[in-house]
Amino acid sequence: MVDLFDWDRFFTNIPQIVAYLPVTFKIVFYATLFGVILALLVAVIRIKKIPILHQVAGIYVSFMRGTPMLVQLLVVFYGIPIVMQQLFNINVNRWDKIIFVYITYILNQGAFLSEIFRCSILAIPTGQLEAAYSVGLTQFQAFRRIILPQAVRVAVPSFGSDFIGLFQNTSLAFLIGVVDIMGRAKTIGTATKHVLEAYVFIAIFFIIISLLVKGAFYLLDKKLAYGR
Amino acid sequence: MGFNFIYFYDSVRSGIEYLPNTFELTFIPILVGLCLGILIAVIRVYRIPFFAPLLAVLITLYQGIPLVVALMIYHLLFMAAFNNFAAVLHLSISMADINTIWIGIFALSLHATCYMEESIKGAFFSVDQGQYEAGYSVGLTRLQTLRRIIIPQVIPVALPMLTNNIVGTIKGSSIVMVIGITEVLAGSVIPASKTYAFFEGYIAAALIYWIFTILVEKFAMRIEKRGDKYRRNLV
Amino acid sequence: MIEIKNAKKSFGKNEILHDVSIQVNKGDVIVILGPSGSGKTTLLRCINFLEKADAGTLTIGEQTVDLKKASSKEILEIRRKTAFVFQNYSLFHNKTALENVMEGLITARHVPYADAKKKAEDTLAWVGLLAKKDAYPCQLSGGQQQRVGIARAVVLDPEVILFDEPTSALDPELVGETLAVIKSVAERGITMIVVTHEMSFAQDVASKVVFMDGGFIVEEGTPAEIFRHPKEERTKQFLARIISAENMYYI
Repeated sequence: MVDLFDWDRFFTNIPQIVAYLPVTFKIVFYATLFGVILALLVAVIRIKKIPILHQVAGIYVSFMRGTPMLVQLLVVFYGIPIVMQQLFNINVNRWDKIIFVYITYILNQGAFLSEIFRCSILAIPTGQLEAAYSVGLTQFQAFRRIILPQAVRVAVPSFGSDFIGLFQNTSLAFLIGVVDIMGRAKTIGTATKHVLEAYVFIAIFFIIISLLVKGAFYLLDKKLAYGR
Repeated sequence: MGFNFIYFYDSVRSGIEYLPNTFELTFIPILVGLCLGILIAVIRVYRIPFFAPLLAVLITLYQGIPLVVALMIYHLLFMAAFNNFAAVLHLSISMADINTIWIGIFALSLHATCYMEESIKGAFFSVDQGQYEAGYSVGLTRLQTLRRIIIPQVIPVALPMLTNNIVGTIKGSSIVMVIGITEVLAGSVIPASKTYAFFEGYIAAALIYWIFTILVEKFAMRIEKRGDKYRRNLV
Repeated sequence: MIEIKNAKKSFGKNEILHDVSIQVNKGDVIVILGPSGSGKTTLLRCINFLEKADAGTLTIGEQTVDLKKASSKEILEIRRKTAFVFQNYSLFHNKTALENVMEGLITARHVPYADAKKKAEDTLAWVGLLAKKDAYPCQLSGGQQQRVGIARAVVLDPEVILFDEPTSALDPELVGETLAVIKSVAERGITMIVVTHEMSFAQDVASKVVFMDGGFIVEEGTPAEIFRHPKEERTKQFLARIISAENMYYI
């Protein structure tokens, strides 16, 4: 029987894979930062029902929710070069592949988070807005001081599961040739013909991340409880 | 370069040809996930000793593993160990006789089970504790209370979440491409191996998935509406 | 002085207010009575622009605005002269009792923090809830929440406070304490318009009672006039129904 799993190999692999963790964290960071901005924009467009933009935003969100992440990644990877060439005559062949990953994950997060924000804002009873108006707050003040803090509270659990999902989805980036932890595992496999240990370590890494994120959001949820 | 509609049309046709594989990769895991999910949820809701905490830990840990990582691991284990395993059991089958699609179905089933169990358990906890007590107070047994009082209230709460799980499984099925199974995604780009029209191919795949998930959501919405009507009539 | 002239409002084909006019003098306590669906709550909400009326004007002090076409600046000015007490309290869920009372002072009136805090604490003490100042709304009983709601309105020193059925969501045993607080608001000489079903409160506190039905003001007068000598048939029927119901409640 071939030696399938070896602890020595497992431990020698660890530093080689850990070195590529920043790639994963960067994807999560950019996707969250710009995803939140895009999502707020989309949520406002959809709540205020701004004509034309509202319909465009609806189709965008439906597409992002209705198609697999992997397909989105591949469409962006093969589509952006064509679009850039045709419309702006820009050759993007020299772009780092990670750029396509950032674009895809920002677009994906923008759609999913916009739905979370939209539902959380709509979940706040209208009485809260009326009460804010009745003490003389402007529309913007009422949104910022009364509606938004409560909506954030409603959004926290969904945001947490979305965040875990985002981490897990980064494991697809290697499929367009980005060398992150998965990409590194693959090259270890090609070089040594032993790759199981690397994948097992990555599985453990993702489990730990999901537990940490769950724990952090649980604490955040308790902190924002407003006496409940 | 540019968008070629003829290549696009070829890709759509090729992708649709492989829809049966995608159906197989989604419906079997959904069915398995639903059955195991209900079973595990009930075990956890009734706090059956030993099994309830064990399953809780297993599900929490397993949920942390991305589908693509799990697929890679199962595929490796299968490739490396299957022939030896068959020899030990004196089975006269070899790896070549097994369609790798079953590895995909296996991995997707485990993921579907975890997520569907969470949805069903959440729906159970949304039912007021008083409903159990009310059931017992009129002389119903545990099972009768579960079947006649609790489950009818769990279903309408669970349905929207289960719809999400089903859509998630459909989308997740595209990932099996990485272990060489041809379904809608890989099928859509088969023509591109000759024409290099990969963009058209992936757009075609996106379109097929998009229509598929919209149809599933529309269908689920109709069932949810019927459930609502039933609830309103009760009031 | 506050004056509403020719207010009209309909929801779709359903006409809720037909040409309603009311005049309120400074320090008056106006109690609006009427069956449900008579338009009394809508009238109150139109004054605070929580609903936009289809026609009519509103005068508060020197300022007159069009109830339909008021600009958002005018709406804000009117809202800063008025305060509203809600049927279901509508305290800000994300703020403590003290923060609820302070919110209008700090954000709308730009009162310095220390002054706002002092004033809010005094007002909370006045409604008997200083001890609960750090409690969140969900930690308070309905009666306590409504008293905070009243403090939130009173603290702004508005020209008029609008009360929308302030006790109808409360458990019966909590109605008394809340009405007592509303009475002491009246004793401070603050102008009030109160929509309520509490007859004895109307009798004791109101300087004028207005009876509305079907979107019209049917009759108005002093409590004595309305309760003892109602002129209109519809007023008589309404009072007979309410009073017999109240008597049954006491039996």
